[in-house]
Amino acid sequence: MADTPEPSSTLQSLVVPNAGVSANADSNRSLPRKDTDNTTQTLEELARQNVAPFLAKYQPRQYAPLRSQVSTPSEQHLVNASYCYRHQPDSKCSRRQADEQSMTQLQSELNLLPQSDQQGIAHVWSLFSAAPAKQRTLMLQGILAQSCFPQLSYISASVRELIRIDFLAALPPELSFKILRYLDTASLCRAAQVSPRWRALADDDVVWHRMCEQHIRRKCNKCGWGLPLLDRKRLREAKREIELRATNWGNNKPAVGSTEAAMVESCSTVQPPASGKRKLESDEGAAALAKRHCASSPQSPEVDESYFKTRYRPWKEVYRDRFVVGMNWKHKRCSIKVFKGHRDSVMCLQFEDNILMTGSYDATVKIWDTDTGEELRTLKGHVAGVRCLQFDDTKLITGSLDRSIRVWNWRTGECISKYNGHAEAVIALHFDCTLLASASVDRTVKIWNFKDKSTFVLPHPQGVNAVKIDSVSRTVLTACDDGAARLWDLDTKTCIRVFHNHIGAVQQVIALPREIELENHLADCENDHVGTSSQSGDNILSTLSPLLEATSPSHPNSPFGSSFDQDQDRIEPPRYILTSGVDTTIRLWETSTGRCLRTFFGHLEGIWALSADTLRIASGGMDRMVKIWDPRIPTGQDTYEGHSAAVNCIGLSDSRFITGGDDYQVRMYDFRA
Amino acid sequence: MSSITLTSSDGVDISVERTTAERSVLIKNMLEDLGDSGEAIPIPNVNEAVLKKVIEWCEHHKHDPPSASDDDDNRRKTTDIDEWDQKFMQVDQEMLFEIILAANYLDIKALLDVGCKTVANMIKGKSPEEIRKTFNIQNDFTSEEEDQIRRENEWAEDR
Repeated sequence: MADTPEPSSTLQSLVVPNAGVSANADSNRSLPRKDTDNTTQTLEELARQNVAPFLAKYQPRQYAPLRSQVSTPSEQHLVNASYCYRHQPDSKCSRRQADEQSMTQLQSELNLLPQSDQQGIAHVWSLFSAAPAKQRTLMLQGILAQSCFPQLSYISASVRELIRIDFLAALPPELSFKILRYLDTASLCRAAQVSPRWRALADDDVVWHRMCEQHIRRKCNKCGWGLPLLDRKRLREAKREIELRATNWGNNKPAVGSTEAAMVESCSTVQPPASGKRKLESDEGAAALAKRHCASSPQSPEVDESYFKTRYRPWKEVYRDRFVVGMNWKHKRCSIKVFKGHRDSVMCLQFEDNILMTGSYDATVKIWDTDTGEELRTLKGHVAGVRCLQFDDTKLITGSLDRSIRVWNWRTGECISKYNGHAEAVIALHFDCTLLASASVDRTVKIWNFKDKSTFVLPHPQGVNAVKIDSVSRTVLTACDDGAARLWDLDTKTCIRVFHNHIGAVQQVIALPREIELENHLADCENDHVGTSSQSGDNILSTLSPLLEATSPSHPNSPFGSSFDQDQDRIEPPRYILTSGVDTTIRLWETSTGRCLRTFFGHLEGIWALSADTLRIASGGMDRMVKIWDPRIPTGQDTYEGHSAAVNCIGLSDSRFITGGDDYQVRMYDFRA
Repeated sequence: MSSITLTSSDGVDISVERTTAERSVLIKNMLEDLGDSGEAIPIPNVNEAVLKKVIEWCEHHKHDPPSASDDDDNRRKTTDIDEWDQKFMQVDQEMLFEIILAANYLDIKALLDVGCKTVANMIKGKSPEEIRKTFNIQNDFTSEEEDQIRRENEWAEDR
């Protein structure tokens, strides 16, 4: 800093024409103030001769130490072009007040000095104050050159304290948002507590919309949650509005604390009222959908009404609700409700919102209200145990050890129809759109078409334990006692892939949601299991598993066979599936290659129950335990105990899981706040 | 290797390699639109000290591939900053502030990212009071307000 070519000559020309003083100062650097009194006279003179013209030139206004200077336009090029952050008159800079205090203190200290000293110092300040940036820098260089270490040390300590900038107040809002978007949840919430300005920015939809967006398909490893369907839809719809909001934020300049009003305002200017109305309707649709999918939250009376009205429910709240649920999962914080009533093992269940249905070996299906815990209805008709069930808005379909399939109007309790299509017990069923698939001990899976009343059979070597239709790809997954899971093409009615690695019966097979992202986590996928089938990790596509019973695809184009080649638009089957078996493992498979990507070890005995969504896998089995897994991290798992006998079935949602067991009990673990 | 001249807000001419200067989308577009007339390009919003600092950054990053699409922005790339940039950003808050403004004005996305990340890192993991101290912010909340806002935000603490 102080290494300008000729500091002393600079000083002379600007401030100290008296060569004697300058020399004195230079030669007595350790005693810079010694000669002050002697030079009082000189200083006053100096003021008249030099300070006044200097001030007149740069600062025609009244003396104001350390304050910003105002210049006439013609002098703009000479003087600082704009206010610096520290001295801008804008009140958003809270620095000002701090200055005010230090100025008062400075003034009182100054008053303690002799009059002549006061004048001298005041002149120095006024000169500095009046000077344009370039001259100021020179003055500082001179002062630094004259300072000895104690003073330099003082400067260095003071400067660190002084150069602190309230970035979020001083930067344009879009840059402030950019900074905030780099923060994690906890830091953002702490930032919101800093000041009203920070709060307005850190609580804003611009920030939290983005936070929500980042959780759509992927799961944040830190907080471990994802957004339910409804919010994803809202999220997409709101994206453009949010982008505009980020750029317009400063213009509308929402008064601190009234973001809500500003939000409505900025949105209404962006959107013509007509489209706004349409959007509201679609939101309602989405909300209705969501009501089915994610059970209404605890503060439901208020939510139900205000949800549509407050189209602009703050994204921070949306985020918070999900975050809290995610944290509860993480820390295993949940409330438990037990439903007692069945008089034999509970074998199957499903729940939506507050409606829970359970099927039991006592040959009945019971309908429960999960909010109240009340048993709403008992459906009787089957003459042997109920092994499987599925319901939607209008109907319930059950499969039983009595070999029949029954269709019920569950709202009235009436059995609408009964189908006898299997020669042995019906173990599993699944319907989607117009198709029903049923799996039986009789070694078949039967596909029923509601529309044209046609049926056909997919033959298996042994009894079938599970079946899942995937309507969009027109495929079906089955799990068989022979130790294999299979993927079938419903168009050609042939098996297109066999997943063969379990030892003993496969009890469950399910597809993982298509939107799940595992790629990054599967880099280290295990090859040891594939190794048993003479494959080396990388050239799998060329050497499809020899364990495949089905013919390998003749066309290399689609790994799922010619039927998928002929119809280019045909959607492929789900990319990943999960199976569980009596061998105590859960396996993750890639459907396109038939590879077993991962094995989840943890259960001590056979696994009867399996369920999964984009965030977690839930399993239960003979060992009476329920385990919750992260599909990305096969080693970690949470264990829930509670059943006093085997767990036979499990249902999973983003905030709950419900299990049924051999102890005749149904247990609900609820992670909502 | 052609070079161009930039004039800072305080009137200082700085000569800089064209490829380096073109890290700035603003300058790049200007050169493309107007052609290189050989005349100095005025940068009226950036003073000499800051402009030199920005050029230093551009110089070091002149061979970087063109900044990745906004998609990568979408994925929270956390606040990781590479080592050289971290060192580069070890400046006082005034300089950091000016670098961010300059990067924004000159449209140098990668530098703007680094600047904003640096500020974010100064906020991260701090209590509200520590944040106030770091940036010299006055606490304008009454203690009741402060209490209420703290309760409102308690959910985010991982416990």
